[in-house]
Amino acid sequence: MKIRKLLALSLVILLVLGLTTGCGQKAEPKKDEKEQQEQKPEEKKIKVGLVYDIGGRGDLSFNDSAYAGLKRAEQEFGLEVTDLEPSSGGEDREQLLRLLAEDGYDLIFGVGFMFTDHIAKVAEEFPDVKFGLIDGAVEDIDSSSNISCLLFKEHEGSFLVGAAAALKSKNGKVGFIGGMKSPLIERFEYGYLAGAKYVNPDIETFSDYVGTTGEAFKDPVKAKELALKQIKAGVDVIYHASGASGVGMLEAAAANKVLAIGVDSDQSLTATDEQKPYILTSMLKRVDNSVYETIKDLVEGRFEGGYRVFGLNDDGVGYAVNDFNKDLISDIQPKLEELKEKVVNGEIKVPADKNEYEEFLKTLK
Amino acid sequence: MKRDRNYKILALKIAAPVIAMILAALISSLIILAIDKNPLQVFYTMFKFSFSRLDSIAIIFFNATPLIFSALAVSIGFKMGLFNIGIEGQYLIGTFLAALVGFSLKGLPAAIHLPLVIMAGIAGGMLWSFIPIFLKVKRGVHEVISTIMLNYVAYSLIHYLIADVFKDKQQSLVEGLGSVLVRTPKLAESALIPKMHGFLSIFGIQLPKHVYLNWFFPIGILLAVGIYYLVSYTPFGYELRAVGHNPEASKIAGIKPDIVYLKGFLLSGAVAGLVGLSDLLGYFKYMDMDFPQGYGFDGIAVALIAQNNPFGIIASAMLFGFLKRGSEGIQALLKVPMDTIVILQSLMIIFIVVITKIINDYVKRLEKKEAA
Repeated sequence: MKIRKLLALSLVILLVLGLTTGCGQKAEPKKDEKEQQEQKPEEKKIKVGLVYDIGGRGDLSFNDSAYAGLKRAEQEFGLEVTDLEPSSGGEDREQLLRLLAEDGYDLIFGVGFMFTDHIAKVAEEFPDVKFGLIDGAVEDIDSSSNISCLLFKEHEGSFLVGAAAALKSKNGKVGFIGGMKSPLIERFEYGYLAGAKYVNPDIETFSDYVGTTGEAFKDPVKAKELALKQIKAGVDVIYHASGASGVGMLEAAAANKVLAIGVDSDQSLTATDEQKPYILTSMLKRVDNSVYETIKDLVEGRFEGGYRVFGLNDDGVGYAVNDFNKDLISDIQPKLEELKEKVVNGEIKVPADKNEYEEFLKTLK
Repeated sequence: MKRDRNYKILALKIAAPVIAMILAALISSLIILAIDKNPLQVFYTMFKFSFSRLDSIAIIFFNATPLIFSALAVSIGFKMGLFNIGIEGQYLIGTFLAALVGFSLKGLPAAIHLPLVIMAGIAGGMLWSFIPIFLKVKRGVHEVISTIMLNYVAYSLIHYLIADVFKDKQQSLVEGLGSVLVRTPKLAESALIPKMHGFLSIFGIQLPKHVYLNWFFPIGILLAVGIYYLVSYTPFGYELRAVGHNPEASKIAGIKPDIVYLKGFLLSGAVAGLVGLSDLLGYFKYMDMDFPQGYGFDGIAVALIAQNNPFGIIASAMLFGFLKRGSEGIQALLKVPMDTIVILQSLMIIFIVVITKIINDYVKRLEKKEAA
């Protein structure tokens, strides 16, 4: 008897399913007609897509900065925008880029250097679609290419916040927490260390990395542990370049009443009220500006491929001053501006990797 | 009456996954409604996108390929009552060894190089499965603990090898900015697996260039057939099953469970060594920090849904492949957020695992009744 009931039940469910799929099919041609009608008057609306890395949106840092740029452009130019996130690494990134290209998007951004190969592949297939690659560089392209690589001199911005850290440290110990160990994040590290040493050659520096994969950018628990370890060793100003992991560092710093430095976005603005008084400043990497500028160029018909570098001289990187850290940072601001001047006019050459950093240290002595 | 019951059993077995998917779809509908989307439209798009485009269908096959190997490896363990959670580590080590042979040997003809690379993958998987089974047989260390821990060792070891020892130093930074990829050198052409495009075009199927379906898919199917034969029709298969049902009883029957464990687990590891090769040799052509992870765990779910039946594994791996492809479609076309998609996929998997399990237990009881 029971089996019969089960069978009957499953039959009923099957019938319902049949009905619903039937409905779906009937509804479909209507939808197509609608779309066609809608498309005609709006044919000129520019479509911009943005694909994050895994776990992208909501890091209050790098990825959200890209999103902010997209949103600003959307409001200003009345674009149609969308943002996507891959479910797993590798091929999934490529498929999402391709689906956007197929769907008639005019400009598609890949947020992060992991997109380098995928963008190169898809850009070749869709020569009429423009692509923006943040932090990565596709080799051998020029201004006629449909790929624009947006690069940043993160070490220059990090140099300034490193100097700020050294100026503010009472114990003479400053710390750095990186996300995924890579040449990119090492530029933050060595720029920061160089800035600290430039101001105070005797300062003691601490560096730790969360990990060696993309996961390292979304592991706040580990970042917090590392921060606590450094704070225990006496560090009283601490900087991170670890995306969403950095939230853990901000927590640790606020809980132990030591100063923290945010990264990429102005993290004072998104931190909790307890954390705000302890955020000295943030190293701004204006991903938002780079996204916005690229979209603007496209809208105005000036899009160019190739490499585009953002540094201290064009405010592509910098440090944050806002209502929350005004009092904290005002006494050292003149010194920071002086250093900025020196970097911009080439008097100080900020090291970008370990070798350059060691050379740099020799010049200090 | 008896024949009646047989039909019922068959009907139930077929109905199980269908009921599960419908229930999962109903619950997922609530979540889709919660984000202000139309569930019917979402499911309709998911199916239409996955089955009305040739490239989607081929991509589903491509997505299923690693899961077929992974689930087969898991199922061999299950058959003898062992829980091999270490597929994850085994395939990473296998993939790395395959990549190593792929980029360090040059100038070999493909007919020698490719088999060598595949053998290296198998060897890597076997190596990483030998440690836990050796510990189990010699020292009684439970395989669940040792395989989980060895997964972590494998992750870290691979990262060390890729990031420090074998990192491709040929890459250069443009203007000293951006970042190079943390990856091994590219594999030699002769080490790569051919795509199935040429073969399929004989039958008039022209796959687009961006589909990476390769010969590992048919290899997976053949392997499933082979494992089915091995487990069901050979003396070794009989021993596997006997040990799985009752190690003590099989000992009395003259089977040495330790030897069976050792052989079976090494076989499981060998199959696991093939998991990553479709991606490595058919898509990436190098191994990087971004190499897909999680196939080992997905394989457990695939094997559970299929009740360890090799042919069921092919079907349920396809289901997973469809879930992945379909979600790309609803994300790109309907802007369903990634987080919602992860919830949907997980719900589907939980429902399917639980409901097929309940119904299959019920079927087993029915079958027992019949026997009595």
